[in-house]
Amino acid sequence: MILKANITEALRSLVSAKQRTILALIGIVIGIGSVIGMVSIGSIVQNEALKQFKDMGVDIATVRKDSGEKGSEMALKDILGLKGRGDVTEVAPYLTSGTEYGSGSKKMFMEQMGVTESFFDLNKIVMKRGRRITDLDAYRYFCVIGTETEQFLNSAGTPDPIGSRIALGDRIYTIVGVMGAVSEGGMRPYGINRSVITHITTGTRSFQSKEINTFMVRLAGLKAAPEVKAEFQDYFEKKSNGLRVSVNTAEELIASMKKQMQLFSLLLGAIGSIALIVGGIGVMNVMLISVTERRKEIGLRRALGAQQMDIQAQFIIESVTLCLAGGIIGIFLGIGVSLIFAKLSKWEFLVSYGSIALGFGVATAVGIFFGYYPARQAARLDPIKALRS
Amino acid sequence: MSYGKMPVNGHTGGSRYPVKTMLKIIDVHKNYAVGPTEVKVLKGISMEVGKGELLAVIGASGSGKSTLMHMIGLLEQPTSGDYFIEGEKISYDNDRVLSTIRNRKIGFVFQQYHLLPRLTALDNVGVPLVYRGMREPEIKEKSMVFLKKVEMEDRARHRPNEMSGGQQQRVAVARALVGNPSIVLADEPTGALDTRTGQEIMNLFRKLNEEEGITIIVITHDHKIAAQCRRQVEMVDGVIVQSSESRVQS
Repeated sequence: MILKANITEALRSLVSAKQRTILALIGIVIGIGSVIGMVSIGSIVQNEALKQFKDMGVDIATVRKDSGEKGSEMALKDILGLKGRGDVTEVAPYLTSGTEYGSGSKKMFMEQMGVTESFFDLNKIVMKRGRRITDLDAYRYFCVIGTETEQFLNSAGTPDPIGSRIALGDRIYTIVGVMGAVSEGGMRPYGINRSVITHITTGTRSFQSKEINTFMVRLAGLKAAPEVKAEFQDYFEKKSNGLRVSVNTAEELIASMKKQMQLFSLLLGAIGSIALIVGGIGVMNVMLISVTERRKEIGLRRALGAQQMDIQAQFIIESVTLCLAGGIIGIFLGIGVSLIFAKLSKWEFLVSYGSIALGFGVATAVGIFFGYYPARQAARLDPIKALRS
Repeated sequence: MSYGKMPVNGHTGGSRYPVKTMLKIIDVHKNYAVGPTEVKVLKGISMEVGKGELLAVIGASGSGKSTLMHMIGLLEQPTSGDYFIEGEKISYDNDRVLSTIRNRKIGFVFQQYHLLPRLTALDNVGVPLVYRGMREPEIKEKSMVFLKKVEMEDRARHRPNEMSGGQQQRVAVARALVGNPSIVLADEPTGALDTRTGQEIMNLFRKLNEEEGITIIVITHDHKIAAQCRRQVEMVDGVIVQSSESRVQS
């Protein structure tokens, strides 16, 4: 019951000193707001970064030929031969080669890729229009293009590129499809949106770099990277003397990304904490003033039977109430800031409920921590001196 | 209990002290350290206050009467000497125990009323009950009873700054009484009031004392006020110089 009376009393006292309350609130609002905002933005970024794993799945690994090996190569038939062996359910070798398209001011750097049909499945590429490259397109000069490539061709005077031809290097390809936009990063090869993709066999004939040194696989079970690596290493060592491979699994990549994100969040949290400490000192200052101003009240309450603990509780509750009020506003502010951030960067907005709980927790902790000293001062006042002041 | 049955000395011609002792002070000294020197404020005070007494402690400023009152009210610890309330010896080492005794056995009325400015009259009266952990409806109910007793029920929702000095002091009296204390300590209760309003407060004390047998100690420098109490104790320079019974009857 004393708790309820204390809360009522705290609200009364805070409302009666509006100006001071608002000033103290600003510090806490900014502190909590920045913590919540930063944690939320952190989780929005993390969510965005992990998004492609969500649509591609986490059972993917990329195998690369280690550089520095001579005389040995990944033969296409060896790579394709992996399908069905062990845990490998799908294989998608690819070949990349950059090229510049256009002339004068209208130029674009395009990513030329040679792929097999399974590349589209593994990378979850959906065709916007037309068809994709199938294994029936082997050795033929058909291609599909990414959205950025399409935009460039549109601006260069080709409204509907399907069926039209594009000259890259010394070859001419016929465009048969346009791929939908995909998010970049993660396990996906870079540059799909600004690519021109042909069949891999066409690529080995016509690209500037003709060596296949990368392929993606889908694995039936989630395996640790070293285990997967050992399997592939073993396979290629037998097929091609001395070939060494490196393997990146999605899991590994996610783990390292998460670690980075944690570091990022920690950094942001630290910045927010500094803001909070500054805010907390503001609260302490306000509480000290409040104690000084209410010495008479404290003396009176002591005379009427309040224990030191009651007085201490009264002021701590007041400071916690103050911080919680600031905390609630700060939580809204932080969420608002992260909403604006998400809107501006066109990323998916999400509210991290953990951060809201954190906001309440931190506000309470700041209130207790920075309210403790003033409350103790209040509790220790000599009742008579306090009454006479 | 009625006044007529009180075996106050002078009326019965019997024992020097009333039958039931409310509080007893034995050879109390109080020294303050002021810089390097020690100031002796109370120099061996012994007194008893009986249940149902209306006692005035009179003295000039600096006589030690306020210190005595603070000591009686457990706001101050004596340097030496013993203090008993209702036979219970006071020990000063536990804040919780002291606060509880203060809360349950002492009711204060101050010269400056000391009402909490943000609270209504009703809520001000209820403050001592809050520290007993009483439930709010019960507090309000009890506070109202005591507001009625001091004829302030129509001001229950008013805040102190909406009331006159006399009205505030009445509310303060209700607050002193609400916890049903053993003793009401009034420190210059009429000091901030004009003569007429001051007299109203004294009348209220006398009425409460006579009709309900409430033990009241009035600390004052005003002989006219003191004369309205049934017993006067005069303090000069830290000692009690005279104790007398008033012939003034209500």
